[in-house]
Amino acid sequence: MSELLAWAWIFALPGLVLTASGIPKDQKRAGYASLPGPVVLLVIAAIAFAQGTEASVTYLNWLPFLADGAFRSLADPLSALLLAILGFVASLVYLYSLGYMADDPGKRRFFVYLDLFVASMATLVLAGNLAVLLIGWTGVGISSFLLISFWRDKPGTLGAGLQALAANAIGDGALLLAASIVPSGCGALVTLHTAECTRNPGGAEFLALLLFIAAAAKSAQGPLYFWLPNAMAGPTPISALIHAATMVAAGVYLLVRTHALLALAPNTMLAIAAVGVATALAASVASYFQANFKKGIAYSTVAQLGYMFAAVGVGAPFAALFHLFTHAAFKALLFLAAGIVIHGAAGREGLLDLRGLGRFFPYSRWGFLIGSLALIGMPLITAGSYSKDSIIEAGLEKQPIVGWLLLGGVILTGLYIGRLFSIVYLAPANDPHTVHRDPDIERPMNWALVPLMVGAVAFGWLGSYLVGHLGDTAGEIEHVPSLINLSLPGLAAFALGAIGFAIAWWLSQRAPAQAAAPASADTSYGAATWVRAIADAGYAVSSGLARVQSGVLPRYAFGSLLAVAAIVLVRVSLR
Amino acid sequence: MSSETLVLATSAMLFAVGAAGALLHRHPVAMLMAVEIMLNAANLLIVLGARVRGGADAEAAALIVLVLAAAEAVIGLALALAFFRRRTVPDVNEAAEIRG
Repeated sequence: MSELLAWAWIFALPGLVLTASGIPKDQKRAGYASLPGPVVLLVIAAIAFAQGTEASVTYLNWLPFLADGAFRSLADPLSALLLAILGFVASLVYLYSLGYMADDPGKRRFFVYLDLFVASMATLVLAGNLAVLLIGWTGVGISSFLLISFWRDKPGTLGAGLQALAANAIGDGALLLAASIVPSGCGALVTLHTAECTRNPGGAEFLALLLFIAAAAKSAQGPLYFWLPNAMAGPTPISALIHAATMVAAGVYLLVRTHALLALAPNTMLAIAAVGVATALAASVASYFQANFKKGIAYSTVAQLGYMFAAVGVGAPFAALFHLFTHAAFKALLFLAAGIVIHGAAGREGLLDLRGLGRFFPYSRWGFLIGSLALIGMPLITAGSYSKDSIIEAGLEKQPIVGWLLLGGVILTGLYIGRLFSIVYLAPANDPHTVHRDPDIERPMNWALVPLMVGAVAFGWLGSYLVGHLGDTAGEIEHVPSLINLSLPGLAAFALGAIGFAIAWWLSQRAPAQAAAPASADTSYGAATWVRAIADAGYAVSSGLARVQSGVLPRYAFGSLLAVAAIVLVRVSLR
Repeated sequence: MSSETLVLATSAMLFAVGAAGALLHRHPVAMLMAVEIMLNAANLLIVLGARVRGGADAEAAALIVLVLAAAEAVIGLALALAFFRRRTVPDVNEAAEIRG
């Protein structure tokens, strides 16, 4: 199956072509042609992972100007796992979108963009070298932009999409630089750490730093976090698939994939850990002060990605990968559950508007509860506890400060998710008449939640299974997660999370209005200032360069002549 | 002076004349003619190469250049015609609306 999986980037393309050319014709069934793509991806990836085989596809000299310009795709257990996660969440999001986008005139366009995203993400995951990685990396960025700005007439969506594009461009630039500085013949991701490949001016540290910048931009870490909360302007299924479960996890995937290179770069590792911890804590605080339901969950995603980065930074890539795996299930669950309430409230996302409306949607309510428990890490019965405990234990063991900070951060997790749950799902409804319910539309959305609920509970038990099949693709695995995880740090983390949850509930009871719309809502950490500064600098450069394009034909002719003369001179003098 | 040198010098001179014409003229048709002169200068060089090397491949290339020049003239003259229809003064420097 691995041989087939190495071509997985093609799987979503037939659906893309069919849906884009208007098949099936009936607007009601638009998007049906896209449905098989992710399901096929899930099945083949899961079988390939279970078989544990490895396959690769190589076409040499495909991009001859790069150090390693071959087209390399690699289907090993690590990429099979990532593709299975992608197929799993994407299948459910497609199903969910049939309901969520049922009345949207742009439904067809929506599914075409979704297919484009799945194809790009599969390219990213299968990439065997930096050249192919760059294609997938840029592809998911572009489809993310298209989907954030999907409702382009709604004010603010285009700006939010452009922000995502700008942040991703920083990462793309770092990746392109990395692909350019590696010595000739290098670029395969699994051999980046070898002695001949780290022989560039900056050595392994510089190469690792570039990959870290690329990963931080994609995963919204450190100062590059700003685009993710604003990306919530897109439809909710997109928030679940792209901006929670898969694309933003690509940064973590890249760092896990190149863990051998990172091991040679202790300073970069330290930076990754520091940025991860700082982001986890700052984003948790920011989440608590959001007045918008989806932005609250988005900051939670930033925080959880911070946990994963911290795990990579302390040298526990498997713990990061494990958390990526479980997080994909429970964060997609949280988003999709939230989406049902938002859809029922005619697209309103403010916590004041949504207060108490969750109680009318039982699937959403249970889904959000299970997702919240997984997020704060309830031992034994939620997946989140297994993976988060692995991270905290690895932190305590290797970098105690990191471990203690991550452990303490769980109380913030409890606070912010408890606040969201109390306001939307526990509080009495302000005005129940604002809820619109349509069982036909709700049905696919409810169905999509059920497998995610199962995943948010059961994925944690798969820890030792993953270890057995991953081999050495995710680094050396020191602690195999057990089936019964009643360790002291894990219990302490859950206790802190539960305390935070209870405090949030109590606060939302005492001052409901204040909890839903906090007065001190500025938690941007000054991002607007420096984003604006970069935008201004870019504008200055481009308006300066634009003057070259004067439109005066003789000037162009003179320029061409000068260029020809220069080329002739260089050729002659080199002879 | 050998005949090869003479042809070389003629070709270089023709190219210089053509380049100067393309740079200095502001009338679209005059610029097109200057470009044709440059193409012919290059063609002369190719024919000279064909004579020296004695192969048919370079002569074929010269024919291709002729076809290219004809095609270029068709597109260029069509552009010039469209330009005349919109403007009273045939000055290429005026056609700079989409600059920058």
